[in-house]
Amino acid sequence: MKPRWKGKGSQAKANADPMSKIVSQLQSSLIQSETRGLLSSCSVLVEVDAELADLLNRSCFGRPRITAQEDKQWFQLDMEEAFYLCFSLKCLKVIGENGYIKSNEELWDYLKSKKPVFPVSYKVYSHLRHKNWVVRSGLQYGVDFVAYCHHPALVHSEYAVLVLSEGDNDLNGRLRVWSDVHCTVRLCGSVAKTLLTVIVNSNNQGANSPSCLEHYTVEEQTITRWNPERSREDQTGPKNGTKKIVKDWCNHI
Amino acid sequence: MATHIAPLRKLWALHVLDGNDIHLSLKELYEKLSNGKSGCYWELFEVYKHLRSLGYVVGRHGIPWSVKGQHIKSGTCSLEGSQESNEMLEMEPKDENSVIELFNNMQITDVSPAFNVYLPNSKFRKSSPGDPSFVLYISRCSPPSRVEIEALERKHGAIPFKFCHVENGRVSFFSFAKTELPVLS
Repeated sequence: MKPRWKGKGSQAKANADPMSKIVSQLQSSLIQSETRGLLSSCSVLVEVDAELADLLNRSCFGRPRITAQEDKQWFQLDMEEAFYLCFSLKCLKVIGENGYIKSNEELWDYLKSKKPVFPVSYKVYSHLRHKNWVVRSGLQYGVDFVAYCHHPALVHSEYAVLVLSEGDNDLNGRLRVWSDVHCTVRLCGSVAKTLLTVIVNSNNQGANSPSCLEHYTVEEQTITRWNPERSREDQTGPKNGTKKIVKDWCNHI
Repeated sequence: MATHIAPLRKLWALHVLDGNDIHLSLKELYEKLSNGKSGCYWELFEVYKHLRSLGYVVGRHGIPWSVKGQHIKSGTCSLEGSQESNEMLEMEPKDENSVIELFNNMQITDVSPAFNVYLPNSKFRKSSPGDPSFVLYISRCSPPSRVEIEALERKHGAIPFKFCHVENGRVSFFSFAKTELPVLS
């Protein structure tokens, strides 16, 4: 799968500015500033200065919220994004309604209560982020995430990611029937993305605490449609008529 | 003089091509072909026809292309014939049950592949077909699980495989492939 870069110079720009470095800078900056996030329903809100805002934008974490404030900006982080910064990168702390900092376990429980598939969804998010892919919500494409090899301003997303689970934590009901496979693959194709299923097996570890995550195993799989009309090497072979086909069928099948 | 009872598929072919008067009516024929495990017969033919009409070379997985001078034993029947000639394969079954058994060998299962498919080009030779472009499985009930895909990848090695889904006369092909996104910088 070759990435589709947007315009000239995008690839060079991306190569000169590796995502791993941007994320690393974000991590240091958040730790230094001792940034605190506020838990708000299914998101975490953070108030940041211009430097952090720039790093959040470049690393594709969160979305800026419009406010009248001039010197500070507010960003809204999705559940997976917030937990990644807290638990995996250990650079953010989240404050609950009671005004106290939530531990990772408390945050985990809270997010699970809001989204039962969160453990599996998070495993996939962190798995891809860990490989330095940019992961964003895939809701508008009917999938869980979309994955980019760099910033969306520079490259089109290659993969539409669907989170699947097997084993005891089997809450996910996608792609169990052929009609869903047809539907999802067609949709992905119409937006020029490859369907990537990431299958998580909890290996009977349950989901009581985030420490269970390290025992989950992950497998990636692509599902693509093959079109026999378009895959013929050349058109010079004779097209077989029905009579010959039926005869051959009986003769050697 | 032995009486030859043509295989059911030959009867069906005659109905399709010639409409000849033979001892099984088309209704009885369809009934026999729709019973039990042979009910897959139509879907298999749909897929075969779809690919053949586009010029692909399609052979049944596990059956050699050339059987010149060879005997193929299958259950209580023995088949003798030549792929190179245009003769219909004839059998000497004791009764029609052994013919049904032949069809039972062709049941669609999600574990045994149906066809070997080769891209349409003139380089294909029955005497040395080489590896197929891909092996084709016909799926009926549900899409294959990750575990099944993994087992098939181990089984077929370098040869790709695809799944075919037939419904309402529509034939669709899908590839399921294990992958691993690279670690980026």
